[in-house]
Amino acid sequence: MADEPVVAETHDDVELEASGLERATIGASTSILAVLGALIVGGVILLVSGDSPFSAYGAMLDGAFGSKFAIGETLARSAPLVIVGAGAAVALRAGMVTIGAQGQVIVGAIGALLTAKLFDGAPSGLAIPAAAIGGALFGAAWALVPALLRAYLGVNEILSTLLFTEFAALLIEYLLNGPLKPPAAITPQSDAYPDNGVLGLVIDGTRFHIGVLVAPAVLLGLWWWIRSTVGFRYDLYGENPRLAESLGIPGRRVVLNSLLISGAAAGVVGWIQAAGLLQRLYLEIASEIGFFGLVVAFLGAARPAGILAASLLFGALQSGGLAMQSSEGIPASLSDVIQALILLGFAVRYAPQIASLLRRAARSFRLVPDRSSRASGSTPAAGSARGR
Amino acid sequence: MPSGVPPITGDPPVLEARGISRRFGAVQALADVDFTLRAGEIHALVGENGAGKSTLAKIVAGVLRADSGEMALFGEPYAPGSRREGAARGVAHIRQQLSLVRGLTVAENLQLGRPNASALFNARAARAEVTRLSDELGLAVPAATIVDDLPLAVRQQAEILIGVAWGARALILDEPSSALGPVETDALIRLCQRLRAEGTPIIYISHRLPELAQLADRLTILRQGRVVLAGEDVRQADLARIAELMIGDLSLLRVERPQTVRGEVRLSAQGLGAHLDHGVGLDGVSFTVGGGEIVGVVGVAGNGQEALAEVLTGVRRPTRGHVVVDGVDVTGSSRKAIAAGMAHLHEDRATGLAHGFTLADNAIARRIGDRGFARLGVRLPGPVGAHVRELAGRFEVRPPEPSAIAGALSGGNQQKLMAARELERDPAVLVAAGPTKGLDPHAARAMRDRCFAVAERGGAVVVISADLDEVRELAHRVVVLSGGRVTDEFAIEDMTSGRLGAAMAGMARPRPRPRPGAGRGAGAGTGGAPRADHHG
Repeated sequence: MADEPVVAETHDDVELEASGLERATIGASTSILAVLGALIVGGVILLVSGDSPFSAYGAMLDGAFGSKFAIGETLARSAPLVIVGAGAAVALRAGMVTIGAQGQVIVGAIGALLTAKLFDGAPSGLAIPAAAIGGALFGAAWALVPALLRAYLGVNEILSTLLFTEFAALLIEYLLNGPLKPPAAITPQSDAYPDNGVLGLVIDGTRFHIGVLVAPAVLLGLWWWIRSTVGFRYDLYGENPRLAESLGIPGRRVVLNSLLISGAAAGVVGWIQAAGLLQRLYLEIASEIGFFGLVVAFLGAARPAGILAASLLFGALQSGGLAMQSSEGIPASLSDVIQALILLGFAVRYAPQIASLLRRAARSFRLVPDRSSRASGSTPAAGSARGR
Repeated sequence: MPSGVPPITGDPPVLEARGISRRFGAVQALADVDFTLRAGEIHALVGENGAGKSTLAKIVAGVLRADSGEMALFGEPYAPGSRREGAARGVAHIRQQLSLVRGLTVAENLQLGRPNASALFNARAARAEVTRLSDELGLAVPAATIVDDLPLAVRQQAEILIGVAWGARALILDEPSSALGPVETDALIRLCQRLRAEGTPIIYISHRLPELAQLADRLTILRQGRVVLAGEDVRQADLARIAELMIGDLSLLRVERPQTVRGEVRLSAQGLGAHLDHGVGLDGVSFTVGGGEIVGVVGVAGNGQEALAEVLTGVRRPTRGHVVVDGVDVTGSSRKAIAAGMAHLHEDRATGLAHGFTLADNAIARRIGDRGFARLGVRLPGPVGAHVRELAGRFEVRPPEPSAIAGALSGGNQQKLMAARELERDPAVLVAAGPTKGLDPHAARAMRDRCFAVAERGGAVVVISADLDEVRELAHRVVVLSGGRVTDEFAIEDMTSGRLGAAMAGMARPRPRPRPGAGRGAGAGTGGAPRADHHG
């Protein structure tokens, strides 16, 4: 398969010959090490503060998987991560590092609410899919400008998608303090989500709602994508853009579509948040789903099984952390610490790349990278755009 | 069994390896190899791909361990367990694929992993050291530039410089010139001579015999893991015999070029212009290639070859002009070019293959959506695997294993894999950039035959190369590129060093008006067998 690690004669050649995807994501062993390391450091923190790591982790495990409610909560928290992660995986596989999911979730939620209002009074069988599509389109639209900038001008998508996340945060702050705010509300929020569009519970007494079922469908979609001919072409572009272009694969279309697909997936998550869990828009509608969804794609090596495992881990840490707080009195922020440590492990692994990025930015900050240097994200498409 | 030549002086040799053997699975990579590196010499280690040169280098450097045998460094027992240990004992190993850490500067790379480094990183001292050594060695390696931004040749110099700074008492250069142009190779040769003069002996691994004749003092040949010639004095050696010993059969080096039967024009470049942000573009390049004809595009590296390959294959849209294949305008579209029957052998195997993909995925990449290989948009591993096995057999890709990772294949097999992908069906036009670059004589011979076969079946072949020998072996006609313009064009038998030199230096001649077919049949007969072992 395209994303297997390279077998080379000696260890020190492996790194040199690793594929583009390998360079962009984390291998399974590194992921497991990062998680174990984080749990151990978390245990040390617990010991230092006088708590027993075993009872704390036990409570966390119980809170994540110990009851019907706990399992439902873990799944409800994992599903959005799966969907964002799968969307990001399509982009990552094509060589696009988008970090705009957070903003796309927010805008997707806005899109879902607006669509649902449009379909207020329509049968649920119509209103629910319409809102889902609305969320997806808004999420994709939020990715459109960075995608066009990358495809036609070679503007680094990391910077532009991050900027658009800021724009999304400003947009929802404006909407919830202004046009969408009900007159009676004191804090920033929207009207209640129209009843006919609300996603019902699958299991009563839990927060396992219908929207959670989108996640397995999306995973199946990614599984197909990796085996499909179109997915192969996108992967090939991610692995070796110059070769892909010389084989007649249109680079611009790959760049555009892969970023739009990841935006649409994040938009769908916005819909799930708005129509399933919260049934109203708040400023924190996206929580940190967008960012953790990307982490999940990285840690899961942009593959379905990896994304599922990483999403369940983060979902369990979040739901288990809250349960641990109520049963053991240990602050739920411990699970934030563990999540952060996992991220730190990731950052250490990619320190040279991150350092290089920062240094480039500091040395000559410009949005349009030097076209001669492939490392800074130029594409042959960008070169030929100049030639026209 | 050949024994090491005893040292001339009473001093122990720098490195003495005795009875080194190493096996990889079923392959005996090295069998009872003796090797001696003396003080103050450049010792060439030659052999075909897979002869065991790199394995021996890695054992000496500490990257690999020998299954049996022993080594001594300056008379003391030497059995390094890692590259780091080797470096600490004074053996610097410069690989084909350089190992500088990307994202860091040269000075930072100097300090990183340095044996006996102090715990504190003194950036200023490191930069000063790079600058001082760079001056001493007559180089221009910038200390504070991130290595990603340096040209390949300078990165290589930086790595050699770091080896020297780390206290190298012996240097191993593994195919250092394979990715360099002529000018850069000259600079490398001067650097090696300088290092030798300053007392650092060098093990120099290469295929390029002429280069070795110029550079090396002694020469050891490996064939299939065994020493077939030990420490021969290069000045006494006969290059033809060395080539023979390397491959075992000199007749393989003789070129039997098919006669030209120039058919109708199949490829036509019409007034091509191209602009590159960095480097030389194209300025009104026109030429045609007929069916059955091989045209060599020569010139000093960096005179528009890169742009020409990109424009001809449709990867780059020219600023003006047209590319026409069999009457179809394919300008600026690789998709149209492929549909018209264009095949492209990339100069750089890093560009020409998806290294992280499997052999099967690489072989099938051009035809991924073809009926029979996919259903409902999903790839069918069964039929693809069967087809790829057949293809790997036909193009002699080893191992013929569809699930092997392309990046793990040897250079020659990567080139064959690229050829399998591009030449599976007879192309109308083949654009081959440096098709035999960096290949051992056997693999080079196989690639030449591929090009000849395309021409014999009526295809038009363009060989773009900075290597004159390569063009002389392949082409019927030569187009000279200088500064992005065509400065001369002539049949191969009219190629003289004077005329070629003038054209390569940019002195344009009035374009000849060749009468199609005239005089070529006879010319191809007489000029048909230049020998690869003639060095120029």
